[in-house]
Parts: sequence; C-alpha cells; structure tokens
Amino acid sequence: MSHERKSNGAKRERVFSLSGIILTAIILAVLLPLAFSQKPVADLPPGSMQAKATTSCLECHEARIILQQRLSKPAWTKEVDKMVKWGAVVDANDRDALIDYLSLNFGPDQPAYAPPRTSAAKSSGKK
Amino acid sequence: MSGAALAVSAAPSVFTWALPQSGSIDMPGENGLIVRSFRFVDLETPVEYFNTWLTPVSHFFVRNHMHEPSELSGDLANSDWRLTVGGEVDRPLTLTFSQLSKLETHSVVNTLECAGNGRSLHRPQVPGIQWGKGAVGTARFSGPSLRDILQRTGIKPTGKHVMFRGLDEVPGKVPPFIRSIPIEKALDSDTLVATHMNGAPLTKHHGFPARALVPGWIGAASCKWLTEIKILDSEFVGNFMTPGYRFPNQPGKPGEAVKPEDTHPLTALNVKSVISGPLDGASLKAGKVAVHGAAWAGESNIVKVEVSTDGGVTWTAASLGHDQARYAWRLWTYEWKANGGDYTIFSRATDSEGRTQPADPVWNPSGYLYNAVDQVKIHVA
Repeated sequence: MSHERKSNGAKRERVFSLSGIILTAIILAVLLPLAFSQKPVADLPPGSMQAKATTSCLECHEARIILQQRLSKPAWTKEVDKMVKWGAVVDANDRDALIDYLSLNFGPDQPAYAPPRTSAAKSSGKK
Repeated sequence: MSGAALAVSAAPSVFTWALPQSGSIDMPGENGLIVRSFRFVDLETPVEYFNTWLTPVSHFFVRNHMHEPSELSGDLANSDWRLTVGGEVDRPLTLTFSQLSKLETHSVVNTLECAGNGRSLHRPQVPGIQWGKGAVGTARFSGPSLRDILQRTGIKPTGKHVMFRGLDEVPGKVPPFIRSIPIEKALDSDTLVATHMNGAPLTKHHGFPARALVPGWIGAASCKWLTEIKILDSEFVGNFMTPGYRFPNQPGKPGEAVKPEDTHPLTALNVKSVISGPLDGASLKAGKVAVHGAAWAGESNIVKVEVSTDGGVTWTAASLGHDQARYAWRLWTYEWKANGGDYTIFSRATDSEGRTQPADPVWNPSGYLYNAVDQVKIHVA
C-alpha cells in the first residue's frame, strides 16, 4: 500500500501537518465561540441617559424590545408615558431627556435592527 | 469568520450595540429562530422553515406578553396546577391535570398567527414587537374540547363570553394578560383546551401544561398557561381587549389616529400568503426555479394562490399542496423558468369568502393583520 513506501521525512511531515490541523482546530474551538457568542440580553446605546434608561426600562424587559423600535418623537412620548403608567420608575425631571434619548437613537430614519438567532440544533434528530 | 469581524466582536461596547448581531443565542429546544426578545421571550420563525405542513415545535414562533410562570412544576401528578371554571354557571368546576387528561381528546391542525405578524412592514412604523413575516406556524393541537368542559358546568342564559386567564407573571403595574371570546366560538367543538402540540406535551414556551386553542383566530385568543376560565355576561374589560387587539372599523390614512369607538376587537385571521423560497435577496442560476410558500385564511379556506414574476403585470396559479385541514395553511409551489435578470416575485392568495390579499397593507395604529401581497427580490444569473 502506498503509505508503507513513504520515507520517514514524509511521515514526519504528515505528523506536523496533523498537529497543525489539531492546533488550528483548538484555536478555532476557542475563538469561534468567542466570535459568535451573543449575550442573551443586549445593552442600550451609550448616552447621558443610558444608565437611567437601563434602570427604568430594563427592570421589566430587555433592551432588544427598545432597540428594534423606529418611532417618531410623538410616538416615543406615548410609549414612555404608557410605561410610566405601567410601573416604569422615571423621575419627572428625566422624562423629556429619556424621550429625546429614545427618539435620537431609535427614530424612523435609523437602519433596521438586525436581531440574532437562537443556535441551530446540533443534531437534526432533535426536532 | 473574518479577522475584521473578530476585531468587531472585541471592539468596545460603544460600537457593538449598533452593529448587526451576527452571533447566536443558546435556547434549548428553540432551533434557529429570530430573537425579537430574550426577556420576555419572543421568537420568530425564519420563512425558510415554512416548508413543511406541520411546523416542528423547535421552529415554531413564540409570543409572550410577559414573563413565563416560574413556579410551574413539570411533575403534573403532584403539581398544584388547577383549571377552574366559574362565573355565569350553575356548577363551578376545578380540574386537576389528571382529571383534564381523562376527558375525550380532540385534535385540530391550526395555523396560529400573532395578530402583529408583519408589523415591521407597516409605514409609518408602529410600536410593538417588530415581527417580520414569521410570527406564524402550523401545528396539530390536541386536548379536550372546551365545549365538553363548559357543558359540565351548566352555563346560565346570561353567559355570553368566555374569559381566559393564564399564569403569566406580570412585571410592574402592567395589566394582566386576560382576554375573552364570544360564547359561540367557545362552544365550537374545534375550540380546545390543548395539552399537546404535534403529539408531544406542550413545552413551557407554548403554554405548558394547558392552553386555550381558538382555531382560525389571532394567536392572542389562545391564552397560554391557562388556569382560569370564567363565563361572563359581557366582553371582558381590560387592556388586552381595549385598547389592545382592536382594528379600525374603516381603513384610515397611514399615520392617522383612530378613535377607540371606531374600532372592533380582532377575531379571525385574514387571507394571506408568504413566499418561503427563493429567499429575499437570493442569487440564482437561470433555469427551473421553484417558487414556494404557505397560504392561510383563518376560518376560511384558501382557494387560489397566484404568483407574478413580472412585478404584478401577469399572474399564474400556483399548485396547492395535498395536505389540508379547515384551519390550516396550504403549502403551494410554482415552477418558473427563469432567465437572467433582476426580479420581484409576488404571491397573492384568495380565500373561499372571495377575499384577496391587497397590493398595499391596511395601516392601523398597532400594526395588526398585515396581509399585503408578499414579495421577494431576487437576481437570476
């Protein structure tokens, strides 16, 4: 058989290339999950109201519910007032700044939010 | 993954929040679904999964208004879960899961669609979960008929509506998720207290241990984690009946406010079709191309799906799939000989009531019942 006729040098080369593959696989195994990992719960964008919005809004739901909206300022005003009625704690002095922050970051002209997906099942038999 | 993308994932959070979310989130049992929200859980089915008549539970969309019940034990034999039935009845009833399971089981294949499916396609955009086209799926639901349960209680002549309460955990001062359906629909033998989906016990995301299943109606009618049924003398009054889940009596101009008195509660679904392939943005080789998808019409039947490959100038009937049931979608397919070029492919369904998908959606302030002619743009080389 052909592999029996290979020289020691060729064998060594094969061992090196094998270890190269294994090393690459290890690196990929470590790096890929990092590259593809997605925090289950997203963050709100930076800004002077980020911390207060996080406290007021994310107590009850996660940031993606906000990140995916594309609303005008009047529509954000209605939403903030509805959420305050539904228990969101917003200092009266912060209401206008919160509406400005949401309108600025999530107005109708912003590009659509690209949501993540849940991981695909590893085996097709688990449907 | 490219080095650039790796660098992006390591970039400070100041940049990453705005970038496309290319990663995936592990959620056991939920396979390849679009995460509209993780907490509370709202998952959308990508349209490419609309290629089987029954949607596997792992691909089935999830719509939660609030947090799922945390106290519910999986051990139903020893669970303190009960289903109570009361209100305008002679003999109020409390059922354990074991008692519920002993009632005669019925199965209904139902296309379940969230009223807000397609909301993100409305212009101007409206608040709410920004569903694309996939807050819909078809499954075989099984469990006792609601009528069998109600008839044991002796409904009084004053009983006109049936209220469902689930065990959703309410955050803050959010009104509880309680809705009602008219007694006529509740007494339809196809309306179930479902305990199973595609032959397996309901998963928690889908309402374990029991949910209402109101076939042909908006998904919100089919209350999950059901624990209380109450017969009322009038429609339930609460946020999720008014102003929630109402539709303008007359179509208005996009963006225009609608007075609450000029609206009615949503009930049955609309006529609708969705193209599940080719996918929007696809590049294909010239030759035979199978255009395919699903079409449904709530309590009505699909009689025709037409496809246009010339931007809506001419339409050709697609072939309807063999599998059908009263409340279930029909799969459809159209074999097209494609020459090179850029195309917009349309699909348009017509139902047994003579309703046809409109060219433009009927805009409404909450973005319900989007059912405009579906379209995908593709390139053929």
